Formats: sequence, structure tokens, C-alpha cells
Amino acid sequence: MRFAGTTDIDAPRERVWAFLTDPAQVTTCAPDVQSLEIADPHHFKVVVRAGVGPIKGTFTMNVQFLELDRPKHAAVLARGQAPGSAVEMVSNMDLSEFDENHTVMEWSSDVTVSGMIQQVGARLMQGAADKITQQVFACIKAKLEAPVTA
Amino acid sequence: MAVQTAPTTSRGQRTLKIHVSVNGTPHDVEVEARTLLVHFLRENLGMTGTHIGCDTTNCGACTVLLNGRAVKSCTLFAVQADQANVTTVEGLEKDGKLHPIQEGFHQEHGLQCGFCTPGMMMTAVAFLATNSKPTEMEIREAISGNLCRCTGYVNIVKSIDHAAKAMRESAEGKA
Amino acid sequence: MAVEIGGIGQSVKRKEDARFIRGKGKYVDDVKLPGMLYLDIVRSPLAHARIKNIDTSKALKIPGVAAVITGKDLVPLNLHWMPTLMSDKQMVLPTDTVLYQAQEVAAVVATERYIAADGVDAIEVDYEPLPVVVDPIKALQPDSPIVREDREQKNNHIWHWETGDKAGTDQAFRDAEVTVKQDLYIPRIHVSSIETCGIVASFDKVEGKLTVWMTTQAPHAIRTVIALVAGHLGLAEHKIRVISPDIGGGFGGKVPVYPGYVLAIGASVLTGAPVKWIEDRAENIQADSFARDYHITAELAAKKDGTMQALRVKTIADHGAFDAAANPSKYPAGLFHIVTGSYPFKKSFVEVDGAYTNKPPGGIAYRCSFRVTEAAFTIERLVDVLALELKKDPAELRMQNFIPPTAFPYTSALGWEYDSGDYGRALRLAMDKIGYAELRKEQAEKRKRGELMGIGISSFTEIVGAGPSKNFDILGIKMFDSAEIRVHPTGKVMVRLGVKSQGQGHETTFAQIVAEELGIPVGDIAVEEGDTDTAPYGLGTYASRSTPVAGGATAIAARKIREKAKLIAAHLLEANPDDVEWKDYKFQVKGVPTKSKTMQEVAFAAYTNHPQGMEAGLEAVDYYDPPNLTFPFGSYICVVDIDRGTGEVKIRRFVAVDDCGTIINPMIVEGQIHGGLTMGLAPALYEQINYDEQGNIQGGTFMDYLLPTAMETPNWETAKTTTPSPHHPIGAKGVGESATVGAPAAIANAVVDALAHLGVRHIDIPITPWKVQKILKEHGVAE
Repeated sequence: MRFAGTTDIDAPRERVWAFLTDPAQVTTCAPDVQSLEIADPHHFKVVVRAGVGPIKGTFTMNVQFLELDRPKHAAVLARGQAPGSAVEMVSNMDLSEFDENHTVMEWSSDVTVSGMIQQVGARLMQGAADKITQQVFACIKAKLEAPVTA
Repeated sequence: MAVQTAPTTSRGQRTLKIHVSVNGTPHDVEVEARTLLVHFLRENLGMTGTHIGCDTTNCGACTVLLNGRAVKSCTLFAVQADQANVTTVEGLEKDGKLHPIQEGFHQEHGLQCGFCTPGMMMTAVAFLATNSKPTEMEIREAISGNLCRCTGYVNIVKSIDHAAKAMRESAEGKA
Repeated sequence: MAVEIGGIGQSVKRKEDARFIRGKGKYVDDVKLPGMLYLDIVRSPLAHARIKNIDTSKALKIPGVAAVITGKDLVPLNLHWMPTLMSDKQMVLPTDTVLYQAQEVAAVVATERYIAADGVDAIEVDYEPLPVVVDPIKALQPDSPIVREDREQKNNHIWHWETGDKAGTDQAFRDAEVTVKQDLYIPRIHVSSIETCGIVASFDKVEGKLTVWMTTQAPHAIRTVIALVAGHLGLAEHKIRVISPDIGGGFGGKVPVYPGYVLAIGASVLTGAPVKWIEDRAENIQADSFARDYHITAELAAKKDGTMQALRVKTIADHGAFDAAANPSKYPAGLFHIVTGSYPFKKSFVEVDGAYTNKPPGGIAYRCSFRVTEAAFTIERLVDVLALELKKDPAELRMQNFIPPTAFPYTSALGWEYDSGDYGRALRLAMDKIGYAELRKEQAEKRKRGELMGIGISSFTEIVGAGPSKNFDILGIKMFDSAEIRVHPTGKVMVRLGVKSQGQGHETTFAQIVAEELGIPVGDIAVEEGDTDTAPYGLGTYASRSTPVAGGATAIAARKIREKAKLIAAHLLEANPDDVEWKDYKFQVKGVPTKSKTMQEVAFAAYTNHPQGMEAGLEAVDYYDPPNLTFPFGSYICVVDIDRGTGEVKIRRFVAVDDCGTIINPMIVEGQIHGGLTMGLAPALYEQINYDEQGNIQGGTFMDYLLPTAMETPNWETAKTTTPSPHHPIGAKGVGESATVGAPAAIANAVVDALAHLGVRHIDIPITPWKVQKILKEHGVAE
């Protein structure tokens, strides 16, 4: 499955970049995070709960930043498993400055789901993935646009 | 069922006490909340006539009657049968006399491997209670939730029709 | 008298019904032993991946989990690989790489079923995905990912097999007046018996005896395989007992040895406790033996007047990751070379190439008689393609070409000696029953009004009864079969067979054979099968072989008994044995019908008053080596109406004329045909198993894999002709799979016939409403 979109964020590009490339921050917007283990700034393991229709799973995701071109471009590979299912996701983010307080983020994601969630949830997959994606980006935008506390 | 106060097993599974009547015999038992009705019947009560044929509620091999209604026991928890009357295939024969549906299946060769048969018969029993003079299409529709790989359904339809006739005649005889 | 004893030809009601209608059948999951543990399996979600790590620690902490088994644990026992029935090998558990989605990766043994499932969920496997290949044609290309790194030759080509006269056939095609060529893809399907596979393995450490209850169609072969594969663990064949109890449908899916069986046996040997493994439906569909997946290119050469002359067929066979099809060892493509069918091709050449892909292994589990369904579909579709090309009526073209009844025994261009047949008679009967001429008239009128109606014919020749020891063996074991009959003093009979029913009614039909031969009522004859401790060695029930082979053994064993009984009768009648004859189910002195003895009287005498010098008792055993296969045949005609709005194909009528030689029990034969037709309807219109590019199964549960229900299944109309087999002791040919073999082509031919006037020549099965709609739209006739 392929997802792509553009999100306008009312925040300076540096701040958006910092948020998206910091595992501790960006995972606050991942769905139903159970735990996070940071190995180094480019590798981390996050356990999330996600599902499609009747099938939900606890996925252990191994995430790796493949490309980091501050503050413009990042590419991320996430691979994970839940019992009976597997997920692989390659995402690209490109940030451009609209002005010094507004950033335009273009993003795309190639997601492959295998196993039980794919078999039983195939027909619901697109809808569920859309929903999760929307929630994630709404969260990112909200967190970045929130007034910075001193 | 006060779920919040339910005790747990050493593995952390919630258990509940239920009272179920199966084929007329009352049972007071404690079961794990997650135990499926079909497993309760087969394993806890040792009544293996009800069979498991799938995991998506499609095949109907597990069909039993819950307060007279045909239900797929693989898609119910045992705790959902609390205070209910369950009828399984083992409860069809009474005092050594076969139920007309059992006679029908035997006379019309409505079974081959026998695996779908209990579920098929229970569905038929519930159906005939609502429709004593069904057409062929009505029978086919009634059993469309029960899969059979062996018979091709033709003789199953005949078996149910045979039972319907026998039950009508016996009702008329009594009238 | 025949009616009273329930002999051959009587529709005796089934003895096995008594337990099934009461819910008292004993299937493998009904077996419960004290201290029994449950085994559940972790399966790969990926189709091709390297296993980097398996973390079993969380699972082992769950109270009630007794053990976790991974590939590493099996290596020191040399059980991580096992041989397949086709002399390939198959992983029991991987140590390194998984090769198909749903492949077994680890096993959990626990005190309860639900805890075993908890254990499976708690195991974490770290996979590194590898490139996947699911298309066998791509797999055979040089740049394809390699599925089997364990093989010496690094490619995905398993074997090449061919038969026939290549040069002669090529010449015939060059010289032909007319040739037609058709590509056909017969997709993967799954047998899906309502009972899934399972085992209860119980190893007695003190006695060193392994007892196994297993969903197997061939218990003796399994026993020998266990002894060969696990012999080094101390399992000796006389201390292995395989019990095949009641089986909820087999159809070939319960012949192979699945890793779950081996794991349960291993777990029982290691723990000393009984271990039960019952797969769920998703596992069954996604990992167990499939059928079909043949990519075929078929060509027919003929004269302008329609006389068929030559047949050339090339096939790519997709076998998944291991070649585990249960074929006789000499025939990797099964009996596919029956593809010349009911027609006397002078020249023919067939070649098949097997390919590995990242899919589950198997190939012939779906009531198909060792690839005969693929063959029958190919030839019957091709004949219709020729009919279209020559603008001839398909019935006429078949009649014109059929092997004539006088030509039998007939040796085909591909080497089979057909025993008997009368193809024209069967087709004529089918045409009469369905009113063929009127239907063609109706079709012509409907076409003028734009209504789509089609008539499809399938005149198939089946090949069953594997098989003569000269050419047939499975893993080296010859394919004879056996019957052991013992008559008790009070005239009751015990019969034990080497075959194993999964619903075919052997307890009734084999009793009928004995009843006929011995004059003893069928109610006094008990038939047992499936326990290797007591049954004589047999190769089991599949490919419709029980009646042709074990039926032969039963008749011959019974006749051996009758020979001895005659001597005892003569002794009782104080007559010369030459003056005693078997007449009206009794021994009579020739010409003096009042001087007779029943078999019951003889039986009693066999223990109390037998002639001096003769052994007491009245029993016999026979191991029957069939001299040839048998060739049931039939003609099916199907009438369809196509909905121009939805593309739905509605079967208006289906007439099936079958000839299986002597019919033992007409009621049971009819039931077999009904079931077989339904399993022919299923792949024609509903069922297919597909994989996406990542090797994900598209539809691994009954939500997506559509078994026909009573709503989709038409009212099958059956009729028969009877052309006995000249070489079979009772003239019977077997019938279990004929309908599955013959039906798909009749249905496909009917749909193509409905659309032929639009220029449609072929549609691959399953013919879904979506496919039909597309065609209707392309031809501008969709509503």
C-alpha cells in the first residue's frame, strides 16, 4: 500500500525537523505505544498496538533512519512483527519552508503487511491505515503548533 | 456476572461460575471467561458430538441450540450460555428413540463422513420448529450456513424433507 | 435372496450411520488421554525470510507451557528435515530460512489448548525478508530468486517429465489440416475437508511403543514412514501403532505427512506424555497440501472433417517450496497422461516441468485421482475449442471421434490400456435425459433476443485403481491392497481391510461384497479398517483405489474361503466335491437342490466337524496386485444461463451419466457422485487460492475461500450405464472422484458456449461474475 500527502505545520522548519527525527518525540504520536527503547539516535525499537477490523496486534517495530539530510529530508525504515503478522514500512519526509514560521511537509509511505492481519483484514486495510495515518499526522501537527512552553 | 470481581487463575485468566442446562442436565461449573462454548461442551463436558470445522464462523459444524435457537457455538463464550438451555446432537435421541431428523438422515443417505452432520441436524431441528412444511428452496436457504464437502447437499435436503414429513404425520396423528 | 442378504447392487442403508447421527463418531480431536498435552505451532507471516533469532523466553515463562521446540532442537535428532513422498525433502522446522507463508517455525507444548495458543503468541521471531517468487514461469527464469538453497543445483527446476512420441507428434502437427492451441491455467485450490488435520501421539516409555491416532488415509504407509524416519530414535515398526479412527473427509488432503504430525510424535517421545495437535482452519488452508496450479499449453491436430489425430501438451507444474505431492513415485505428474481422454489419438506427446516457488508444498489433494482432473479439463476444453474452430456441434464432434466400444482393451498413444468403455452410449443417454436437441433450439432463439444461455459437455475417461506392481509404488512400497476375512463358528464374519474410508461407506459396501460371495447377510458382517495393529497391510484410500484394489482383494479372499467351504460342504453332504456347486448362495449337490448346506452350516462345521487332514477354521487373506488400472467414464451435460447485469453464472440443469462398472451400492454411488460434482462445481465457479507478489495468501480463511453451500449447489441429476471392468474380480471400477474429474469442463464449456457467438473461446476457471462481466463489457452486451 502506498500513502502520500502534504501537511502544513505552523512551526519553523528546524523545530519540525528536530521533532520528526527525535525518536523520543516522534513516537509520542505513534498509535498506542507500549514501550520505547532507543539504541542510538538512528536506531530504536518501539512496541505499538494497532489493528485492522477484528484483528489487533502488538507490534514490535525496529526503526532505522536510513537518510538524514537536515533540515530537508529524512527516510525511515520500520520493520516489525506481531504474532502471525509482519509489517514493513519505508517512509520519506521532505520539509520545505513556506516562511520562517510555517513548514510544508511532504510525506510518503510504502507499507507492506503480511500474515493474519493482511489475510483477515485485507478489505479493511486501506481504511484502517488511512485512519491511523490521519491520527498520526494530526498529532504531529498539534504537538508542533502548540505554544512552546518556556 | 460481576466481571470486575471475578477471580483469576494462576495464569491470570478470569473465571466465572455459570449454570447451564445441557440436554436437560444442569451443570454448575467454573470456567475461564475466554472459554468458547464449543470447547466447554467438548472438553469440560466430554460431549464430542459437536464439531469444530473452521475459525471464522462460516462452516456451521459447531451448531447447537441455545434456548431453542440455532447458534454457532464456536462464536459464543461458555459464559454467554449462563442460565440457558443448550441442546446438542447427543440430546436428540430420547429413551432409545431416534429423533425424526436422525431417521431422515439415515434413510435418505444424508451423511458420508459424518463431520458436518451434527451441526446440520441441529440447524434443521431449529428450522423445522419454525417451518413445518418447507419447500426445497427454503430448506436450502436454512442450511446455507452449514458447509458439507461430501454429500453435495441433495440428500441432506431430502433428509430434512423426510423428517419434516414424519414430524407432520406424527403431529397429525396426535391431533 | 440378493435383496435379503444385501449383496451387490442393493442400496443397503449404511451401518456407519448409527454412530454419526448420534454424535458418537470418534474423530482424532475426540481422543482424550490422561495427562495429554497440546501442541500449537508458530507460523511464518513471510513467504521467504531468514530467521535471525527466535526468542522463546516469554513463552517458557507461561505457567502450563511444558516445552518449546525450534529447528535447532531437532538437529541433534536429525528430525529437522524429513523425506517427502516424491523423494524430495521437506523441513519439519527451519534452522535458517522459511520458504512459504504459514510455514511451521516453532512449536509450543502445553497442558491446555488455550495455553499452547498463549505460548505461540508469546514467541518472538526476528525475520530478515528475502526476495519472493510466486510465479512458476518467473521461477524458471535464470534471474529468479532461488527457493531451495539446500539443493545442489541452484535453480527452481524440480524435474522434467515427458512421455509419448515427440517426433511423430510434431510431424502430425506439421501435416495437419487443422490445429488449435489453447493456454489454460488451472489455479491452486484447497480441499478443505470439514475436519482439519490432527494427531494424538502417545509414547509409552516403558513398552517403547508409540500409538498414534491420526487423520490419515494411509495408516500402514505412515507406520512404515515413521519407522524409517524416526527409527534412529528407537521406534521399531512392530512397536508403532497407527490408528486412523473416523475421518471427517480426506479427498487426498490427509495423505501427506505434515510437520505437525512429526512434531507431536517427537514431543510425545521426549516428554513421555500423549501430545495432541489439531490444526485450525486457517493453518489447514494456508499450509496443507493444495491441488492443481498447472499452467498448460495444449494443442490438438485434426482433419478438416473433425477427425482428431494428434495431441501435444506442455505444462509447468507449480509445486510450492517442496515437492510433496503424493504421487506414485514413477509419475511426478501423476496420471496426467490420460489427457488423450476418450479419443483415439494416433500420436501424442506430453511434457511437464515442475517448479519451486515460495508457496506451500503439495499438489494433488482435491479428489483428483493424481492429476486426472487437470487432464480431463484440458482435453474436454480443447475438444470444444476445436468444435468452435470447425463450427461443429460439440456433441457431434465427440461422437464422431470416440474410441469405439469394439476397440477395448484399447491402448492409448501414451501407453495406457483402457479396460472397457462405451462412450457413445453414455453421451447419448445424457443428451436424451437433458433434451439436447430442444436445448439447442432454445439457445438459438434466445440468442436472437440477446439472452445468454450455454450448453457444455464433458465426456471424460477416468483412470483409477493404482496400481499394478510393475509400475506403481509409493516411496518404494508397491500399491497392492488387502483383505482379511474370518468366518466365526456361528456364521458371522469379520473383515479387515488395508484401505481406510473417510466417508465412502466401506463398512457397508465391503460387507456387501462379502455378502455376495459368501451368501451371508450383510448385517452379519463386520468391517474394520484403519488400525495397523490388526488390519492387513494396505496403501490406503485415495485416488478412488479402494474398490478396484481392496475390492478385488476382498472378492478373492472371499472366494478362497468359498473354495475351502466347498470341501467342507462336500464332506457334510457326503458327496464328491466335484458334484457340489455354489448356487443361490448355497452349496448344493448338482441336480439335487434339496441336498444343500448354507455357509453358516459350513462355518460351524469348520470348527466342529471338518474333514480329517484339513486345517480347522474358515478364513483367508488376499494381497491383490491389480493387473491393470480401471477406467470409469461418463458424459456430463450442463446448461447455464448468464445474468447480463451481474455476470453471474446460474446452472439451470446438470445431467451426469456415470459408468463405474459394477455398482455395489447404488445409493452410496449416487452420494459419491453428488459430492464429486459439488467439488467440480467449486473450482469451476468459486474457489481459488492466489498469492500476491510478497507471497501473501489472498484468502486464507472461509471468509474468502468460497466453498459451495446448499444455495450454490444445483439439484444434480444422475443416471448410469454399466460397462464392467473385464479384469476386476467383480467388474467394479470405482467412482469416488469421477465427478470431480468430469464436472469442471462441463461447466466451463457451458459458459464459453453461452458467449461463443461473441467470439469468446476460453475462460480460465474459476469463472467468477467479475470475469464474465468484464467479457460482457468488452463485447458490449453488459446490462
